[in-house]
Amino acid sequence: MSVQILLLIGLVLFSVAAVLLKDLIKAAICLAAASLVLGILFFRMGAPYAGAFEISVVAGLITVLFMLTIALTKTGGDVAESKLARVAFPLFFILFLAVDVIVTKNLVQKIVALPAAPEAGAFGEVLWKQRTLDLVGQVCIIFAGVLAVLALFRKRSKDNDD
Amino acid sequence: MTSTWVPYLIVAAGLLFAGIYCLLAMRNLIKLFIGVEIISKAVSLIIVATGFAKKNILVAQSLAVTFIVVEVSLVATALAIIINIYRHTKSLDIRKLSRLKG
Repeated sequence: MSVQILLLIGLVLFSVAAVLLKDLIKAAICLAAASLVLGILFFRMGAPYAGAFEISVVAGLITVLFMLTIALTKTGGDVAESKLARVAFPLFFILFLAVDVIVTKNLVQKIVALPAAPEAGAFGEVLWKQRTLDLVGQVCIIFAGVLAVLALFRKRSKDNDD
Repeated sequence: MTSTWVPYLIVAAGLLFAGIYCLLAMRNLIKLFIGVEIISKAVSLIIVATGFAKKNILVAQSLAVTFIVVEVSLVATALAIIINIYRHTKSLDIRKLSRLKG
């Protein structure tokens, strides 16, 4: 349990660093580290497939996409952020966490919990038999994403070019 | 059971706050998108943690995998839009997008 708590603290610290760091590349690396910690948490909660997806896709692929975008937009990347927002963030965050701890502890005890129903079977059975429509949705979303990227990066014909 | 659930709920709410603060206060488009990513981490954490606490980890896991796939296609599309905005305005400043005239 204490390892879980340490991992959760690491997740929060890396995420806060990703918000606060000025350098975009360092922020993207902190985001990848946060994904890595989240993936380890998934493994420890008994969700190895979600953990593997989180580490390989979110920590790997999305970080590469972020790096590519940062490299492609390097010359105009310096945007003056408001200093007040950066300074005020830790203060607000600690305040929010304090309120959050009190509210969540009281709220969870008052909510009538649904009965926990232990399930049987393997991950593959649940994914392919119970959540089949989700898979169809996933395929549609990937297809839509590919079409959107193609549409955004298409070359303009001379007639349409203004 | 609830005692194992509470730390995850607290951390997920904290991450949600960090992401929303980033969206409200930052001006760089890539930074804003890092905020969206942090919010999506909070969501996937809460999905898997609830499955873990309610002993329904298989369904939670398949939902988390679906969510990750959705997240990836969102990221690809949004970063393509950011690159197009950069080519158009030569800047990543969100304030320059408030002008309707390109």
